Amino acid sequence: MKRINWTAYAQSLAAPLLAVGVGLLVGAIAIWAVGGSVGTTYAEMWKGAFGSFYFTASTLTRATPIILTALGVSLAFRAGFFNLGAEGQMVFGALAAALAALYVPGPGPVKMLAAVAAGMLAGGLWSLLAGWLDTRFRMNLLITTLLLNYIAVYTAGYLVAFPLKEKGGTGGAQTAMLDNSAWLPKLFAGTTLHAGFIVAIAAAVLLALFLTFTTKGYEIRMLGSNPLFAAYGGVKRGQLMLVSMLLSGALAGLAGTFEVLGTQYRYIDNMLTSPGYAWSGIMATLLAGSNPIGSVLAAILLAALQTGGMGVERNTEVPLEISSVIQSSLILFVSARITFSFIKRRKARAANGNAA
Amino acid sequence: MGTLLDWSLLSATLWKVAPLLLAALAGALCARVGIFNVALEGMMLIGAFTAILGNDLFGNVALAVLFACFCVGLVSLLFAYLTIGLQANAIVVGMAINFLANGLTAFLLYAIFGVKGQYRDSTMSGLPQWHIPVIQDIPVVGELLSGHTPLVYLAFVLVAVLQFVLFRTVIGFRLLAVGENPAAAKSLGLKIRGYQYGAVVFGGVLCGLAGAQLSLGQVTLFTENMTAGRGFIALVATMLGQSNPLGVMASSLLFGFLDTVSTRLQGSSIPTHFTMMFPYVMTIVVMLFFKDKTYLRQSGRLDGK
Repeated sequence: MKRINWTAYAQSLAAPLLAVGVGLLVGAIAIWAVGGSVGTTYAEMWKGAFGSFYFTASTLTRATPIILTALGVSLAFRAGFFNLGAEGQMVFGALAAALAALYVPGPGPVKMLAAVAAGMLAGGLWSLLAGWLDTRFRMNLLITTLLLNYIAVYTAGYLVAFPLKEKGGTGGAQTAMLDNSAWLPKLFAGTTLHAGFIVAIAAAVLLALFLTFTTKGYEIRMLGSNPLFAAYGGVKRGQLMLVSMLLSGALAGLAGTFEVLGTQYRYIDNMLTSPGYAWSGIMATLLAGSNPIGSVLAAILLAALQTGGMGVERNTEVPLEISSVIQSSLILFVSARITFSFIKRRKARAANGNAA
Repeated sequence: MGTLLDWSLLSATLWKVAPLLLAALAGALCARVGIFNVALEGMMLIGAFTAILGNDLFGNVALAVLFACFCVGLVSLLFAYLTIGLQANAIVVGMAINFLANGLTAFLLYAIFGVKGQYRDSTMSGLPQWHIPVIQDIPVVGELLSGHTPLVYLAFVLVAVLQFVLFRTVIGFRLLAVGENPAAAKSLGLKIRGYQYGAVVFGGVLCGLAGAQLSLGQVTLFTENMTAGRGFIALVATMLGQSNPLGVMASSLLFGFLDTVSTRLQGSSIPTHFTMMFPYVMTIVVMLFFKDKTYLRQSGRLDGK
């Protein structure tokens, strides 16, 4: 028994490493195809991501919103709900946080707490809307969450371009700058890394504990892995869906909030959509198989590929998009790993003699 | 509103509807064999890119379209291998294919054409417009039905062909059986996986056509992420049309019309943010009114199977 567990453990570690290898191999082929030097390119990528303390801190800064989104998406996936609406939830969260920090009176910490509450609430409610449409009107969640992204992004874009635009500002579509008492503190002077990173790590640990040790966590996992059994056990699907969608959206909203409080100090149109934080978060979730702690590592890996890609673009002829190629081949390979466990499960069922 | 609704609006709808309809038919075909294909978006994007690439390589529009179909066919074969061959979760693989399509087209855009964001070559010719001899002279009907690209006509012909093949031929019945009751189909000696592979790859070819219509139809250019969620709207069209070619055509026409109205509204005083948002809002509203009763609902979840 012990021996089998060890093999499984080794396998669970080997598979992601193998996936990274495959991703880098595909990347190498792409680099070679555009006439770049594979060695130099990957060296620049490493330097761009972890080459110095400053770059490492930048990578972790970029990873922060990705981690938080990934946690939210993981929670929904664990419950069996394909929440693809992280982008919209994040955008509304960030906008609400910026507004709260701008207009709530009081000292810095009060503004900050108000911003966090408003950001999580806005993201959570936007996500809850999709959940409600599913439970109330039986509308496909995958599709509605996706469509709601476009609506959120355009609405927020309109709001900061017109009614909420900085008065007399020279910039583009953006809100006014927050009072610097509401800024999240930096972890190290001279770097971009802010306190949001610590919160993201703490959230990952809390989510892992919640899923493993609480009744609600157990119900969520049961609903995701075997909905019929969950129903038999008295789990209320609709109610649990609303709860998990609310939490999932709140985490995405928090990701947006920290971008406002920790890096930009205002809401700027496209500040979240052009770096594609939400989609990276979904990729991290897929890579980690919805495991909270794994999601943190996957998010840091993806952030490193992205900041590394910028380094590549600065110093070589190979374009930044090489990162997207590596990331997507990673995901594709990992999706086949999910398979692998699926086949095993099916075989096991067949062996028990109760296969369909 | 007077200038908003005229015959050219309906004619423009046919332009807009073709890529949507082709992709939705692909989705319907996959749904009929029990596969929820969320990769339509990515496949369309790859189709749009490879159509431009083929046009650049061969300098011939027909070859460009064939090239697009071939390339997307290959991608759909990968999708089929992972979901059917390896039994991976179709939604996860579909999302991965969408990510791949986004990354790969952006990378190749720079690697091949040396540009970022958008590629346009003014010397490149797009798909021809067919003016149908007699019909083009009839006042309203001519404006409506004549002067479209061959792919627009092909999309509607395919509706009829698929409707006939699915519900009037033996191969169609077998295909339906594979989706409805795999165990029964297997007991009849049908090669389930063969039918599934066939449907997915043929769907890929349709997505190639859809992409070609996007990048070579009304305009001749490729923009990063130019599909902008159309693949998912096509998926909604598939679901609302109950995966039935005629139903899919009806829902695609509706979405194409809404898309055209949104383009038309851009000239008005309404802020562009709202006109851009319009098709997505309307899609949700339509979903609210037309209940989707298909078996696809269940497969829309991770717990699908």
